[in-house]
Amino acid sequence: MDLFDPTRQAFSLLLNGDPELWRIIWVSLWVSVLAIAVMAPPCIAIGFVLAKRQFAGQRAVVVLLQALLSFPTVVIGLVIYLLLSRRGPLGAFELLFTPWAIMIGYMVIALPILVVFTVSAVQGADPRVYETARSLGAGPSRAALTTLWEVRFAVMAGIVNAFGRVVSEVGCALLVGGNIAGITRNIPTAIALETSKGEFAQGIALGFVLIVTAIGINVALAWLQGRGGLE
Amino acid sequence: MSAPLFSAEGLAKRFGDRVLFDSARIDLEMGSGYVLTGINGSGKSTLLRIIAGLEPTQGGRLTFRAQASTVPDYPEAWRREIVYVHQQPYLFHTTIENNLEYGLARRGVLRVEREERTREALAWAGLAARSGVPPHKLSGGEAQRVALARAKALDPTLLLLDEPTANLDGDARKQVLELVTALCIENHTVVVASHDPEIIRLAILTRLQVSGRSIVVAD
Repeated sequence: MDLFDPTRQAFSLLLNGDPELWRIIWVSLWVSVLAIAVMAPPCIAIGFVLAKRQFAGQRAVVVLLQALLSFPTVVIGLVIYLLLSRRGPLGAFELLFTPWAIMIGYMVIALPILVVFTVSAVQGADPRVYETARSLGAGPSRAALTTLWEVRFAVMAGIVNAFGRVVSEVGCALLVGGNIAGITRNIPTAIALETSKGEFAQGIALGFVLIVTAIGINVALAWLQGRGGLE
Repeated sequence: MSAPLFSAEGLAKRFGDRVLFDSARIDLEMGSGYVLTGINGSGKSTLLRIIAGLEPTQGGRLTFRAQASTVPDYPEAWRREIVYVHQQPYLFHTTIENNLEYGLARRGVLRVEREERTREALAWAGLAARSGVPPHKLSGGEAQRVALARAKALDPTLLLLDEPTANLDGDARKQVLELVTALCIENHTVVVASHDPEIIRLAILTRLQVSGRSIVVAD
């Protein structure tokens, strides 16, 4: 099979600003970014409490969340589909096959990643951080923020990881979004569709965008880590 | 005699089967300095941490400025006046100045005054020239001095120092020793847990010994 021709076509699509293609990229990015932005603050707070407070069943909760890390996203999609479908308990909101349905799926997928990374970041933090903050007069929530700030790169790694997971996820987005052109078609679902139709150019172009996004975010994180270390 | 600034009574603390304190009592007078001695593991650090509200107890009553409390309900207001410095102090991963300003900001001190008090405290600790150096590049002695300056900048009523010279030798130890002495002279109430014979010999400090699950005046 000739790979050169579709690749050349792919770059010409990207560089010529093909509106359909850029629309797909836009849907992918805003839904992923918004889902992570909404979930990060509460999940980081939950992660902190799970790491610091001792309560009955704490271990069980952490184990459950860790198990959710490897939960198949297509099953998450199925559950959300059933909840949002017309006869489902949340059917009245008419969210199925909208970007919001995809966003809900992304939020569920991101939740355990964000919480588990925060738990391990906070557990790995020097216990003196929290004590020092408290002893210098910080209240409990301020001392918590200070602790999270001291381990911000481990927490940020969770955010990057969660973003990488949702932005490249196919199963859930395909099920609850329906891959509707111009509305819910995003990068992974478009690649799946175009490839199955034998249209490789668009698939390659979108795959390229996805890879550049992933590398870009990781380079940005590495750069921030370097600066944060004040080397 | 007036009531002490701080007192703890009926203090009970154990870690598992190991009993550190059983109905212990300690009184700290306003403006006095104390050195807490005792063998390793006798509970010197633990006592300082209990006074600072960082360590729960199995019983006891704390009184500060005639206000009583039990440890689980350690009042937030006390933390504004009682400052504890770890044996190996933790400096936040930011500038030295931000480390000093942290506690001042928590007390609602405005920026101009924060910067002024930070400068004064750094000069007091002989660190003015180290301004701008990231904390992880400081030597052990310098880090200890930053921690002392960070505590002093808050002008605490009660200052608790855990083995401030333990990990230092030579000039670094001498410098820290001078700062500790200066803090004790300056009308703060200071409690130093220490093994350092030179600190224990300081005439201005009352010697308290932790032994046999209680605290006794050892003069």
